[in-house]
Amino acid sequence: MGKPTGFIEYLRELPVDRSPAERVRDWNEFHHHMDEKRLRQQGARCMDCGVPFCHTGKLISGMASGCPVNNLIPEWNDLVYRGLWREALDRLHRTNNFPEFTGRVCPAPCEGSCVLGINAPPVTIKNIENSIVDKGWEEGWIVAEPPTTRTGKKVAVIGSGPAGLAAAAQLNKAGHLVTVLERADRPGGLLTYGIPNMKLDKREVVARRVALLEKEGVKFVCNATVGENVEAELLRKDFDAIVVCTGATLPRDLKVEGRELDGVHFAMDFLTASTQALLNGKPESAPINARGKNVIVLGGGDTGTDCVGTSMRQGCNHVTQIEIMAMPPMDRAADNPWPEWPKVYKMERT
Amino acid sequence: MQSYHGAQVFEAVGLRQDVIDEYFAGTASRVGGVGLDVIAREVLIRHTMAFAERKPQSQTELPSGGQYQWRADGEFHLFNPETIHRLQKSVRTNSYATYKSYAELIDDRAKNLSTLRGLLDFKQGEPVPIDEVESVESLMKRFKTGAMSYGSISKEAHETLAIAMNRVGGKSNTGEGGEDPERFVPMENGDSKNSAIKQVASGRFGVTSHYLVNAKELQIKMAQGAKPGEGGQLPGTKVYPWIAKTRGTTAGVGLISPPPHHDIYSIEDLAELIHDLKNANRDARISVKLVAEVGVGTIAAGVAKAHADVVLISGADGGTGASPLTSLTHAGLPWELGLAETHQTLVINNLRSRITVETDGQLKTGRDVAIAALLGAEEFGFATAPLVAVGCIMMRVCHLNTCPAGVATQDPRLREKFAGKPEHAVNFMRFIATHLREIMAQLGFRKLEEMVGRVDMLEPRAAIDHWKAKGFDFSNILYAPDAGPDIGRYKQMNQDHGIDRSLDVTTLLGLCEPAIARGEKVTAEVPVRNVNRVVGTITGSEVTKKWGVNGLPEDTIQIKFKGSAGQSFGAFVPNGMSFSLEGDANDYFGKGLSGGKLAVFPSPLSSFPSEKNMIVGNVALYGATRGEVFVRGMAGERFAVRNSGVDTVVEAVGDHGCEYMTGGRVVVLGPTGRNFAAGMSGGIAYLLDEDGEAVSRINAQMVEIGRVDDAKEADELRALIEKHVAATGSEHAKGILAAWPTKLPKFVRVIPKDYKRVLACLKRAHDQGLSGDEAIMAAFEENARDTSRVGGN
Repeated sequence: MGKPTGFIEYLRELPVDRSPAERVRDWNEFHHHMDEKRLRQQGARCMDCGVPFCHTGKLISGMASGCPVNNLIPEWNDLVYRGLWREALDRLHRTNNFPEFTGRVCPAPCEGSCVLGINAPPVTIKNIENSIVDKGWEEGWIVAEPPTTRTGKKVAVIGSGPAGLAAAAQLNKAGHLVTVLERADRPGGLLTYGIPNMKLDKREVVARRVALLEKEGVKFVCNATVGENVEAELLRKDFDAIVVCTGATLPRDLKVEGRELDGVHFAMDFLTASTQALLNGKPESAPINARGKNVIVLGGGDTGTDCVGTSMRQGCNHVTQIEIMAMPPMDRAADNPWPEWPKVYKMERT
Repeated sequence: MQSYHGAQVFEAVGLRQDVIDEYFAGTASRVGGVGLDVIAREVLIRHTMAFAERKPQSQTELPSGGQYQWRADGEFHLFNPETIHRLQKSVRTNSYATYKSYAELIDDRAKNLSTLRGLLDFKQGEPVPIDEVESVESLMKRFKTGAMSYGSISKEAHETLAIAMNRVGGKSNTGEGGEDPERFVPMENGDSKNSAIKQVASGRFGVTSHYLVNAKELQIKMAQGAKPGEGGQLPGTKVYPWIAKTRGTTAGVGLISPPPHHDIYSIEDLAELIHDLKNANRDARISVKLVAEVGVGTIAAGVAKAHADVVLISGADGGTGASPLTSLTHAGLPWELGLAETHQTLVINNLRSRITVETDGQLKTGRDVAIAALLGAEEFGFATAPLVAVGCIMMRVCHLNTCPAGVATQDPRLREKFAGKPEHAVNFMRFIATHLREIMAQLGFRKLEEMVGRVDMLEPRAAIDHWKAKGFDFSNILYAPDAGPDIGRYKQMNQDHGIDRSLDVTTLLGLCEPAIARGEKVTAEVPVRNVNRVVGTITGSEVTKKWGVNGLPEDTIQIKFKGSAGQSFGAFVPNGMSFSLEGDANDYFGKGLSGGKLAVFPSPLSSFPSEKNMIVGNVALYGATRGEVFVRGMAGERFAVRNSGVDTVVEAVGDHGCEYMTGGRVVVLGPTGRNFAAGMSGGIAYLLDEDGEAVSRINAQMVEIGRVDDAKEADELRALIEKHVAATGSEHAKGILAAWPTKLPKFVRVIPKDYKRVLACLKRAHDQGLSGDEAIMAAFEENARDTSRVGGN
């Protein structure tokens, strides 16, 4: 364990964000990096628990508790405390193909079940994870490692979202030849077109990983919609196996009066169009555009927040967010004990 | 080490007999197990993992293993995130249904092959209606919590368990750290923090007359299931002032519980301690804690013959995270083995009916308890599970003082965070009893007693779907001795402790009645013989019961004994009782002395020089906490071991004097044996070194050797010797006093390094104007920061 008394000595601390006034003027990520000394202190707050609930990844009372990919959180927290970043990165990659994605956009059930969180603010697990992998890229430690032998088997992966990319990465490591089929014009699925750029940078983060996978031997084919411009039968013939990673893109419609009126959109149509315009170099050209408009966002979850942030950056006049549920409590309710997912009010920043 | 060579102290669990015969000939193995084929397969699996044909980079990282800290892909642990959560939720919301969902995970035999009981099934019984089964309240009286000392766990956690067990009519256990006398007084709301079981372990911390009389059961800890053969250690940084006070030691100075009891080297010695404790509290049951090991049945039979009222068979899986790693993973045996053997042996020898058999070691559910009963237990101990119920989250940092749940820590900042309530432990006990009761109904037992030892209601699981489980053979465990109907199979009669025949009952109690009842002075002369064991202890217990922790004013009871005293003369005698003995005494003289005064000297008619002749036996003053003792003559081996407060003068001692001593002053006016002051962490010893050999006989690992340079200290030393002369008429001592200026420089002063450092801290605190508890706390904190502490103590 790092420092047995770290959690008593140091307070929870997160990196500062760029000021809201500044960040709504561009589409760049808005968390600053934390200096190394303070990151190491944050690592020292980890207690290296005998039963690390953060690492559990179980459903508790029907909700995610702990890391669903069983990240070895206490181990890399300790390594960060000791300043062994390279070792931390290796430990992190053992369970997680893309820490730079999860470190940015995972809702962090690990922190919700962090043992320290029973009676103190939890360890900043998500930020530490992100810092490890960002440092790995900065230092040039993350390089293509094509498999040394090939099995001669070919696998097609349909969909290049997080699941498709992870499947491709694992199968490729095992020595199979992988082709990823993506119906959009760019790979990444939800990572590219679902999550807005200020939360997860497309060119610097998503494309970087895709490029690495290509170097390792994974082939990406975009604008390929199986069943439309790619014959399913052909896939069966050409590949030894097919992995379907298509995600769930069907939106939930709201059957209310006026739903059919102009200017009422699904979030994904809005967000995808916005990011596509940005990646094409003309963010102002987004077909659904909030510029100068009064915007109402229905839904107070992550996607709603993304719509708020996107509307702001497009230069909307005014935005109102509406949530169907009552405002959750500031602290855990009696029937929502640790280590369950904390159903508490969260201020999400975009 | 020599005595261990070839001792075959190991038992194999899970190896087939032909493997044992070929490679571990003579090793005990009782449940069969795997053969060479399976062993080979395991080796191959590991080899394949290490030398896989294709191995991606990320897989070159070693797996975590999860032996100590739980990991999703590691070693299976019964206490894991899901079970801990369900257990805590069940007790906090008082939901039996949630408890059952916890119990299902623990008892899930399809997945859990981590215990022997997991490989057993109940046979089909003839169910009885559940309302005919003994009540939950009645069953809970058989429940106990484990011996976790105040010191290893916080005051808050310790008291929470005590209150809970008192509420349900069960018994909590002090552990070996003593108990604050404040807790013996019932609380205003009717609760009580008094632990029903008071443990007497090798360290004898806080074992005073007052402690003993406030118990319902006195438990002699011979060993701990989780770490058989090992002692314990409380590092100095954890010996906070309040811990030191309760243990009768010095704050900031590390404490060692030695592996053995220094007054027990044989079963006869154990019988003596059982008898001593029964004298110290006639109303308490005397319990002996043993660990599951091969041959424990024989030991238990000896314990039954030695008149213990209860024998506890402790399994390997218990114990805190503070056990050494080697012990956590590789020492001890499951209670199933030890319990089955114990019950069988006791029944075969017709001893079972006079002793209660208890078991512990990770009992977690009503099913565990039911199996323990069927294997022969009638009382049941729980430690980890109730601790989890009150907030333990299995951090396994018990040894670091950093428990974030405020359970296993003394740090006031962390203790504040303790959120456990007695209700949580109460609910746990109720759930266990409710679950047990359901199983009893299903098996057809109305009373728990009917269930004890009914191995015929158990059978090995028919289909164990694990590739390594095929060779198990439970016939040894499920063996029912062929004993007639007149042989009792559970505790039915009381032991005869022979208390009525003691000198105290026949003579001393009557003599001392005015003092006990009204505090009047009593003086008497009483002849004594060596069949009179434990003289004065019963009388002392009556004084303590009536007059409390401080006993009577000095010299209220003065008795002059004449003759040859038996064992344990003056054991646990409290303040206000002064015994002088003209003659000699056997072993254990002044054991556990609790404030009384003892003097022993030869008859004036004797012609030998007292300082060259043995007058008291071995282990005098073992675990003594307070009082004064003057011995005109030589004492045997192990003199004043674990003394924590008695001032004594003796004229020579044998080997191992002052071992593990933590307080008090010992003056030896003659030669000492070897290994003097081994493990001594407190108090001061003064050795008159006439032959210049004293230093060579000291074990200097933890102590500093010097001279008496301080004038005030020299005066105190002289005063003590003068008292010795007054009490015993020692000619030898008179001679020393007469030649004081030449004798004083010959005294060797032995003081533990840690103790000296803490005393210096304390002096600085006093110099800064602090006093009382404040000064002690300041000294403790200064000392905790000092990195020069010996061996981390």
